Amino acid sequence: MGKVILPAVKNSLYPAIDFIKNSAKELGFDNKKIYELELASEEVIVNIINYAYPKGAGEMEITCVPLQDDKGIKVEVVDWGISFNPLDKPSPDINAPIEERKIGGLGIYLLRKTMDDVSYHREDGKNILTFVKKL
Amino acid sequence: MESNFSVNYEKGVAKIKLSGRLDATNAGNLQEELKKVTDKKIERLVFFAKDLEYISSAGLRVIIFAKQKIGVDSKVYLISPQEAVLNVIKMSGLDNFMIIEDTYKD
Repeated sequence: MGKVILPAVKNSLYPAIDFIKNSAKELGFDNKKIYELELASEEVIVNIINYAYPKGAGEMEITCVPLQDDKGIKVEVVDWGISFNPLDKPSPDINAPIEERKIGGLGIYLLRKTMDDVSYHREDGKNILTFVKKL
Repeated sequence: MESNFSVNYEKGVAKIKLSGRLDATNAGNLQEELKKVTDKKIERLVFFAKDLEYISSAGLRVIIFAKQKIGVDSKVYLISPQEAVLNVIKMSGLDNFMIIEDTYKD
């Protein structure tokens, strides 16, 4: 629980995921929901590592707070990179014939599908992505 | 992270053993390995997933890519996936084109 700031580089992926997983464990999430939080976290963090800072180095800040009465977790991920709303994409048609399936968009689809709430906003030069998972 | 997979090709059957994690850190390596066999004539692409503990969208994309590459007449098998992995496969609709079984019969 709490806050961590990490450089937006590949080696930060597991520390970032572990921070979120450990916060969820503190709140008593079961393994299935921790897996889903891990999926969501990987998606969001990888996006920042790969795309937020095309011109060089940057950081990301991850904050985990319990929901009221400890009935879940709210994860807020902030970067100071280029304006980018990962939710601003159509969801893939998961029932499309495999030959016609698009390769992209699946991660964000899973993020939306596994979390109880996902939101994005841009504020003071920051991308702020928040996802919520209930116990 | 080191790559947790091996790819074997014999007589139209490509067998891939997966273990540990298949995520953004190593999905690219698997894709490169698969490219070596998906250029050949493949009737069956068999993923052994008993020891696979975690798959993310990066791993799912590699499977979709492989299926698209080998063509409609080729079959993709997923053998003995763990429940958590199977959940993600189903959530993503990949079970629509995979044969999911407990054991693989040659």
